[in-house]
Amino acid sequence: MGLKQDSSEEHAKQNQDCFECWFPFYTFDNLSDPMEKWLSFGKQLPYDSGIDKQFLAAPIKSSVDKYQLVPEFLKVRGLVKQHLDSFNYFVNVGIQKIVSANDRIVSSVDPSIYIRFNSVKIGEPSIPRDGVSEKITPQLCRLSDMTVHSRKSYPKIRLEKKNVIIGRMPIMLRSCCCVLYGKDEAQLAELGDVDTGTTKKRIIIDSDKKGNINASVTSSTEERKSKTVILMEKGQMYLHLNQFVNKIPIMIVMKAMGMESDQEVVQMVGRDPRYSDLLLPSIRECAKHGVYTKQQALEHLEAKVKKSTYSGASSEKVFFLFFVRVRRDSFRAKCIYVAVMLRRMIDAYLNKDTMDDKDYVGNKRLELSGQLISLLFEDLFKSMIEEVKKRMDMNMARLSRSSRFDPLQYVHGDSISAGLERTLSTGNFNIKRFRMDRKGMTQVLARLSFIGTLGHMTRISPQFEKSRKVSGPRALQPSQWGMLCPCDTPEGEACGLVKNLALMTHVTTDEEEGPLISLCYCLGVEDLELLSGEELHTPNSFLVIFNGLILGKHQRPQRFATAMRKLRRAGKIGEFVSVFVNEKQGRVYVVPDGSGDKNCSILKTGSINKRCVYIASDGGRVCRPLVIADKGISRIKEHHMKELLDGVRTFDDFLRDGLMEYLDVNEENNALIALYEGKSTPATTHIEIEPFTILGICAGLIPFPHHNQSPRNTYQCAMGKQAMGNIAYNQLFRMDTLLYLLVYPQRPLLTTKTIELVGYDKLGAGQNATVAVMSYSGYDIEDAIVMNKSSLDRGFGRCIVLKRCSAIRQKYENNTEDRIIRPNREGDGAGRMQILDDDGIAAPGEIIRPGDIYINKETPIITRGPTVSPAGLPDRAYRPSIQTFKGPEGESCVVDKVALFNDKNNNLCIKFSIRHTRRPEVGDKFSSRHGQKGVCGTIVQQEDFPFSERGICPDLIMNPHGFPR
Amino acid sequence: MDGGLTYQRFPKVKIREMRDDVVKFELRETDASVANALRRVMIAEVPTVAIDLVEIEVNSSVLNDEFIAHRLGLIPLTSERAMSMRFSRDCDACDGDGQCEFCSVEFQLRARCHNDQTLDVTSKDLYSSDHTVVPVDFSDPNEPAEQRGIIIVKLRRGQELKLRAIARKGIGKDHAKWSPAATVTFMYEPMIRINEDLMETLSLEQKNTWVESSPTKVFDIDPVTQQVVVVDPEAYTYDDEVIKKAESMGKPGLVEIEAREDSFIFTVESTGAIKASQLVLNAIEILKQKLDAVRLSEDTVEADDQFGELGAHMRGG
Repeated sequence: MGLKQDSSEEHAKQNQDCFECWFPFYTFDNLSDPMEKWLSFGKQLPYDSGIDKQFLAAPIKSSVDKYQLVPEFLKVRGLVKQHLDSFNYFVNVGIQKIVSANDRIVSSVDPSIYIRFNSVKIGEPSIPRDGVSEKITPQLCRLSDMTVHSRKSYPKIRLEKKNVIIGRMPIMLRSCCCVLYGKDEAQLAELGDVDTGTTKKRIIIDSDKKGNINASVTSSTEERKSKTVILMEKGQMYLHLNQFVNKIPIMIVMKAMGMESDQEVVQMVGRDPRYSDLLLPSIRECAKHGVYTKQQALEHLEAKVKKSTYSGASSEKVFFLFFVRVRRDSFRAKCIYVAVMLRRMIDAYLNKDTMDDKDYVGNKRLELSGQLISLLFEDLFKSMIEEVKKRMDMNMARLSRSSRFDPLQYVHGDSISAGLERTLSTGNFNIKRFRMDRKGMTQVLARLSFIGTLGHMTRISPQFEKSRKVSGPRALQPSQWGMLCPCDTPEGEACGLVKNLALMTHVTTDEEEGPLISLCYCLGVEDLELLSGEELHTPNSFLVIFNGLILGKHQRPQRFATAMRKLRRAGKIGEFVSVFVNEKQGRVYVVPDGSGDKNCSILKTGSINKRCVYIASDGGRVCRPLVIADKGISRIKEHHMKELLDGVRTFDDFLRDGLMEYLDVNEENNALIALYEGKSTPATTHIEIEPFTILGICAGLIPFPHHNQSPRNTYQCAMGKQAMGNIAYNQLFRMDTLLYLLVYPQRPLLTTKTIELVGYDKLGAGQNATVAVMSYSGYDIEDAIVMNKSSLDRGFGRCIVLKRCSAIRQKYENNTEDRIIRPNREGDGAGRMQILDDDGIAAPGEIIRPGDIYINKETPIITRGPTVSPAGLPDRAYRPSIQTFKGPEGESCVVDKVALFNDKNNNLCIKFSIRHTRRPEVGDKFSSRHGQKGVCGTIVQQEDFPFSERGICPDLIMNPHGFPR
Repeated sequence: MDGGLTYQRFPKVKIREMRDDVVKFELRETDASVANALRRVMIAEVPTVAIDLVEIEVNSSVLNDEFIAHRLGLIPLTSERAMSMRFSRDCDACDGDGQCEFCSVEFQLRARCHNDQTLDVTSKDLYSSDHTVVPVDFSDPNEPAEQRGIIIVKLRRGQELKLRAIARKGIGKDHAKWSPAATVTFMYEPMIRINEDLMETLSLEQKNTWVESSPTKVFDIDPVTQQVVVVDPEAYTYDDEVIKKAESMGKPGLVEIEAREDSFIFTVESTGAIKASQLVLNAIEILKQKLDAVRLSEDTVEADDQFGELGAHMRGG
């Protein structure tokens, strides 16, 4: 765009002379090294001080060219690996966890009778057909209209000796259960699936957050899920929990957990007089209720518990913050957790700065399909267990049983299969067990363009509704640098809420917590149990928080963090584990060494230890790879890159050898990341791989985006998805409801690195046009475009539209069936049946006009009642139910292909793909790659078009008044 | 006619270069309207023959029927005969179905790939019923062994293409496939005058930068005299770059460039359907016919009052 804008301004000045104003869209001369352009992009970054023009002009030869890492990264990871990872995690780990957490169905009548699930396994995708299970491929499903739903396999459960099928599971394409898994490209082509990028029918992404305005903690395990909120009202603090009827004064809760002494509580929160001042009203409130002992507190709570229908749950069993393990009936860990929550709240009250930023990307978690499916599965699995248990009990309670009792007969997968299928097809996640009621969680993958598909798979949509008129969550967050694309967001109501992942972003999946926790203790974390409130808050000691759970404290946090990171770089712990040392939570002004002459109270605030080490291994965090630097010197050297080019080294080797690592948003706060190696200082800890990876897939297609007015990039991100061209390698075999293809798609003359990476140069959309920038004919005002008729004659902008029609040969309950019969070649109506073959189905290659019959079908008149033999039915027992082609009058289409197959219910189904070739006409929309769209205003003969001295005649004319200034 | 002021001029043509596919000539002593009329007629109204109707018998190639039909239409066919052929819409020999020998030529194409090597179906595979109307041969006469037809489609093993095509006469105005012209362009002859006195005030380095400022090679520096000379005035594209450069150097008027509005340099390139020289001659012929049509039409005489001298001029006055 940059090049076009520059010259358009010049041309606008001398526009009176129409004949000289042609201008080609892409010219070879203007193809300079994109690296240089990117360099100037670096100028906008905060790290940069004075601009050294000499340096900017010089080619960056000194540092290692790390570009090759990007394609390598994408080779191992693919563009949408996060979905696959998430789903694979569910299939391999999550499902097993759920089943083993609920592995017993014990009869309440006779506890000696129980069903135990030993293991769960997902079989190969298959489909039962005539009693035999047949293996299936995605292409088959696509054709048979079964899409996701039939792509299921059998989770099998073993009872002593038997394999029991408990349900059928929809499988994500290309996941480890899918037939495409581990296939190379050639095999993929054979299976008829798309190669670049991954296919998947539905995507589910959502974001979730942890906030602290009223200190709330959401927690979940395999057993249950809860949200605990501590809120402040009129100076008093309360606990809000769903199990209770109304909110409970916090001190009562503390007392119920065994902290009978007020002093202990105050000490636990912190000795600062201002803390105790704020705690005082709550203590008083507690006294007002006459609660002084643990027993009294428990009685008070008992009264407030919601009476559930199941059983009288005692307050001892009220679970809050239940992820904090209760060891030997000691509530101490919980007390400390509550104290820390209180402390943070009071801090926030005293000082607004310590409030957590809700929009901070580090506080957000992305929910991927695997997590959501596992929730759904868990719910359905538990429902099934309850159902089985009820049935078992009913059967056992009966005194006389006629047949042998087999509890297994109740274990069948219908409820699970149906539940999964229903939820996925409607997108309504209504899981009462987890109080989840969300709509539109599944979307049908946009298949109208290749880029649209990829863009759709990297999209992140927010949980809350879009109607809120708030600017906070919509604003560009500094913490989304490198993780989420700054350009790619829709316009209008979802602006800034719907985001897209950047090119190198990875979304983590859950990781085993146990080993990490014991590792932390090994590395010198002092156990919480052994610490008094006073010790907890001594200056210079850091709380160690693991996935939101307080493990204990550590005296030397930096040493601890370094040790953890070293282990991670050595591959001893997971590569996605994040270690983040938060040194300035709260206001750390001066460390109280007595030398500071600041205001005393501020000194105290500073001295208060709210510093923490956060270790995270949970799923849903966004992270990205970075090159590690030692004192500003990159660990990746020239010879590493050479090894990579020679194929000796892979991206994983870089991770394993500790040359690169993944950082999540929180850990980025501990790093100083240089954009280029040449810009690093001795304090630099990491170096970016390539700056262009901050952009997403759609924004990466824009040439010279840094020369554009910023909203133009956003417009282009939305518009790039509408571009016509190629859709997938299997586009000619697909039977989509609507498909737009370009007759002559071209590779752009000016490409970007992202274009090469995502394969847009192989599956491109659009054409290179010669463009004149001038006013012409008046039919080009308001962004309209004048087009050259001869260019259109020669195939410019010509497109193929494929539409689908289908027909089913239905079977009826009385054993009758529709029939497709030979057309009548004479008599009336023969004209409309011209395109039919002798089998009564339209032949491929025939020209079809509106009103033509494409299937000569007849339906039996009687479809209910007693069974009849279909063979013996006379002709008059049928009535015609022909299907005619409806389309715009005067448009002649062609039957492109006809596919016959059996659908889910084993009915014969016939699909017709109808093709129409169109040339551009007035009113069609055209766009450059810079958010410059316009409709065709008029089509003009070539001889009326401007031409140059060299004889170049443009394909289209754009009005210079339409260019952004 | 009546001895009044006449606008009649006698344009001169000087041919600079003439090959089968390219003609370059100068047209002098006339104005832009005449030059442009000639250009427009060459692009849009000189008739050629092109494939207009395709009947596909078998097509198992990867390209669909319309796609192939469109590609066939764009293949240039030798059309020396086109001027004497009839338009099928006013052919009385075939009642307008456009399939008689006076207005159409039939082509056959049969191709099938039998082995594992990809088979290129080119314009050479089109068999014409008339040896004067055949696809244009682009092969190098020096290397006759090399076949260089226009690729229509590529076939893989087992794929087949069988079709019958009808070529008809038409003009570029109806569809670009009938346009015999690949490039028709003209430019005003530029008159470049360097202000030698002002130029002498420049240093050699300044002269060099000024010469370099032109995107095309119009000026150069004489190695002996170190004077700026015009080497190729026609390379000038009226881009004003040198004038702007002179102004930015603080020497306005360093060079004066004018377009000579009565002389034109024409470049005509043909698609191969007819020779470039024939294209110019046909265009002139058609232009004459059009003028005749105006002159002979009945209401021209009546319109005499309206057009006045112009009417007389058109009638050869």
